[in-house]
Amino acid sequence: MAITGQAVAIATFKVFLLTSPLAIVVVLSLVVGLLMVVLFGYTSDQKAIGIAKDQLKAQLLAVRLYRDQVPVVMDSYGKILRGTGRYLKLAFKPLLYVIIPVTLLMVQIDRYLGATPIPANTPFLLTVYLAGPSTTGQTSGSGALNDVTLDLPPEIAMTAPPVHIPAGNEIVWRLVGSRDGKYEVKIAAGGQSAAKVVCVGSGLVRISTVRLRGHFWERMFSSAEPVLPENSLIEFISINYPDRNVEVAGYGMNWIWLFFILSMVAGFIFKELLGIKI
Amino acid sequence: MKGKCRVGTKRWLYTPFAGKRGRAAFFFLLLAIVLFPTASHAYAGPGAGFAVLSSFWAIFVAFLYSFYALITWPFRQLFRFLRRRNAYRKATFERAVILGFDGMDPDLADRFMNEGRLPNLAQLRDKGTFSKLRTTFPAISPVAWSTFMTGVNPGKHNIYDFLARNTSNYLPFLSSAEIKGPKRHIKIGKYSIPFGKTEIKAMRKGTPFWHWLGNAGIFSSVIRVPVTFPPEKFQGVLLSGMCVPDLKGSQGTFCLCTTRASNDKFREGGVRVPIERKNGVCRSYIPGPENPLVEKAGELRVAFEIRTEPGSKQARFVFGSEKFTLKVGEYSEWIPAEFKAGMGFTAHGICRFYLKELSPEVEVYVTPVNIDPGHPDLPISHPVTYSIYLAKLFGPYATLGLAEDTWALNEHVLDDDAFLAQAYGNHEDRERMLFDALDKTKRGLCTCVFDTTDRVQHMFWRYLEEDHPAARDVPHSQHPRVIQDLYERMDCLIGRVMEKIDDDTLLMVISDHGFKSFARCMNVNAWLHQNGYLALKDGKTESGDWFEDVDWSRTRAYTMGLNGLYLNIKGREKQGIVDPAEAEVLKDELQKKLNGLVDPASGTVGVTGVFITDAFYRGPYTENAPDLLVGYGAGYRASWDSVMGKVTGQIFEDNTKAWSGDHCIDPRLVPGVLFSSHKFVEEKPALVDVAPTILKVFGLALPAHFDGKPWTLAAQKKFLSTGGTDVPRQGC
Repeated sequence: MAITGQAVAIATFKVFLLTSPLAIVVVLSLVVGLLMVVLFGYTSDQKAIGIAKDQLKAQLLAVRLYRDQVPVVMDSYGKILRGTGRYLKLAFKPLLYVIIPVTLLMVQIDRYLGATPIPANTPFLLTVYLAGPSTTGQTSGSGALNDVTLDLPPEIAMTAPPVHIPAGNEIVWRLVGSRDGKYEVKIAAGGQSAAKVVCVGSGLVRISTVRLRGHFWERMFSSAEPVLPENSLIEFISINYPDRNVEVAGYGMNWIWLFFILSMVAGFIFKELLGIKI
Repeated sequence: MKGKCRVGTKRWLYTPFAGKRGRAAFFFLLLAIVLFPTASHAYAGPGAGFAVLSSFWAIFVAFLYSFYALITWPFRQLFRFLRRRNAYRKATFERAVILGFDGMDPDLADRFMNEGRLPNLAQLRDKGTFSKLRTTFPAISPVAWSTFMTGVNPGKHNIYDFLARNTSNYLPFLSSAEIKGPKRHIKIGKYSIPFGKTEIKAMRKGTPFWHWLGNAGIFSSVIRVPVTFPPEKFQGVLLSGMCVPDLKGSQGTFCLCTTRASNDKFREGGVRVPIERKNGVCRSYIPGPENPLVEKAGELRVAFEIRTEPGSKQARFVFGSEKFTLKVGEYSEWIPAEFKAGMGFTAHGICRFYLKELSPEVEVYVTPVNIDPGHPDLPISHPVTYSIYLAKLFGPYATLGLAEDTWALNEHVLDDDAFLAQAYGNHEDRERMLFDALDKTKRGLCTCVFDTTDRVQHMFWRYLEEDHPAARDVPHSQHPRVIQDLYERMDCLIGRVMEKIDDDTLLMVISDHGFKSFARCMNVNAWLHQNGYLALKDGKTESGDWFEDVDWSRTRAYTMGLNGLYLNIKGREKQGIVDPAEAEVLKDELQKKLNGLVDPASGTVGVTGVFITDAFYRGPYTENAPDLLVGYGAGYRASWDSVMGKVTGQIFEDNTKAWSGDHCIDPRLVPGVLFSSHKFVEEKPALVDVAPTILKVFGLALPAHFDGKPWTLAAQKKFLSTGGTDVPRQGC
């Protein structure tokens, strides 16, 4: 019985870890804090960073020690500025090593924690932006907007006629999902068709708020769907998913703020423990 | 990263990331991530966060403080103006720079100047002042520097030697400062947690002259002047010098870690610690302070490992979190040593390792564990942040009062080269501090004392003489030119200082005493014993250290320390037998008998003067003074045993230790030097005159209790701007 109880407790904890955004952010922050500090330590010139930081501290102390001697204080200010530049220069290379994996990691996490799926029976907006003729060689403008059609699965319904915004080359539909799940809506324009995934429900789901044509860097950071064809008339398709807030002591906040705070704290602790200068 | 696309905007489209400019865009994106972490989408882990926060924190703090300083500046200036409106008004110079070269000898300086070795000092001599500087009675550094800074005789500043004696048990204690742990403790299990502050009591009395300057609004930078521990509050910055203890609380306890089995204890200032060798790894430890939390728990220790390959001339050290490699005959940098007592209590020290030998035995010398200047557990500067400032600016540095490990050289733990490397390493740190202080102190006082001159002359005088007992095995032709090099080095330093000063600066180079040979030792306790003034317990022919086996009930006089001779006076000493009414007679008797005492082995006079201190000590602390001072002749000094209160069979013996030069002799024989950039009209300047002279230079009134007299400047003459010097200034 005891073993069964323990197994249940472990299973419950695992489920909690996997499903609770707060638990995910906490664990992730600690792990990232540790890994990044170690990575920074290995890829940086620790001695030079230590010296640069000490020099900065020395000049700060000089400002205090010689506060009545204006030339000394001004000289120290100059050295503080120069020292800060030197320090940033030293920190830049290791930061590149640190930033790239963390950035990629955070992009992926943001797809789970950045937004919530559309609750069932709650209206949402689907926006399609059409490219100008110069980029596709195809017809656009109000005529093109009129030709855009939407093909919806049975679980998604249109609650209002589409709104055409010729000035912005945009067309917006107001939709609603009737049942939890992942669905594809198809948009046809200029003889071509493109699909966009719509997530309806709750819980942790990988969400892509936008699907793009081209725009490599934007896609890398914000889209979790395949690129739209290069010759497509559609420039992007987006859905206004609600932002997800992580609840901490009754306050809701974006996960990234919590991650910022916790990973900093973890980093601070681990840098002290490991003797790494940041 | 948050994929939030707003209806009706073209935000995504106008961002030029795609295409050829992608790489550049990514670079700028990363830069943005680094520089602007406050935007939630730009945070990339704690590395970036710390880097950016650290940088901007430094700037933020600096400018926050500067904003505060700017706002309050007019008020502070007004306040200072009202309070110190006379500062500099009557000053003859805007700045005074005093370089103290402990133990620089006027005869040697004169000789080397005449040989053309010291062009910068010669220039000072020719255009300013060069004179002998009368020292204190006795001519011992803590006494002399105390007089230098206070302008009074020892009877007013209470320092008569390194050591003072406890009249209740005849044991010595450090004369300059007393350190007591917190009075209250909280008991938790086996732990006894100190509650409150460590009490450091300054035993040196009197007011240093930079306090008078500070009261008048004149800023001072004071670096490593002896007997400035504990540091006192004044307007300026100060780094304490001689008498700052090590982390153990001693005046310097080195450590020899060795695989050689030996039960011998070092006579002076060191401990031997075994190294255990197993599977090619050597393990040992450094002893630290006593555990403050657990009674009778013994000393705290920090373990270390030495890893080496067979036949290799270098070894890898692992000391806490520090790892470093040393070759045989090489010093490490200053390494932080943290002695953890538990419950979060840690004593912070620094030490240097010197790899002496790797084969067949392994031997490592470790310097005394100095108080970490970047994390001082005891105050070693004023303000406390000054030592931290220097540590951040220049890295860790020696803080121990007697930082040059003369004991280790005396005990043959270090050789000549290793000692010199250590001494000059400390000296270079001191030079950096001096030049920083010169840069920071454009007006006011800047004074710095260099100990290297004293330590090197103590340890290498043996090579100056033909037949010094400590160098008899070394042919004279092979004597290294250590002391000549020392003086030349100091001259170079003066040259560099002269390049930093102008006509509005008065430069003074002084020493507290000179130097003479120390070839023969005299045990005054043995003489007192043999002449019936000191008695041993029945059956004893010699005593142990600190008067072990001395029969106080039959002892009328005794000596401890370097020059002091004490009567065992009834009512003053616990077991005193000399009636105070008979004390004067006894003093006269001792004076007559000891004065002119001849060393039978050489036929030379070993004692050239015995001085009754009543004649020249005046002040509130004369009761702590020795009754007589023994002035040894040139070539003589109190024996090592006599200093430690030991009675031996022999009165005179050879001094074969590396410590072969000394100044604790007849003070008339070892005056210091006075050089200055401007000429002083004074026939017989004395060290006690420096304080009043500096106050006079800055136009301040002299306190009535001063014993010194200010010197008079000759008709003002521009020193540095005067052309046509015979010898140009030379920096090194």
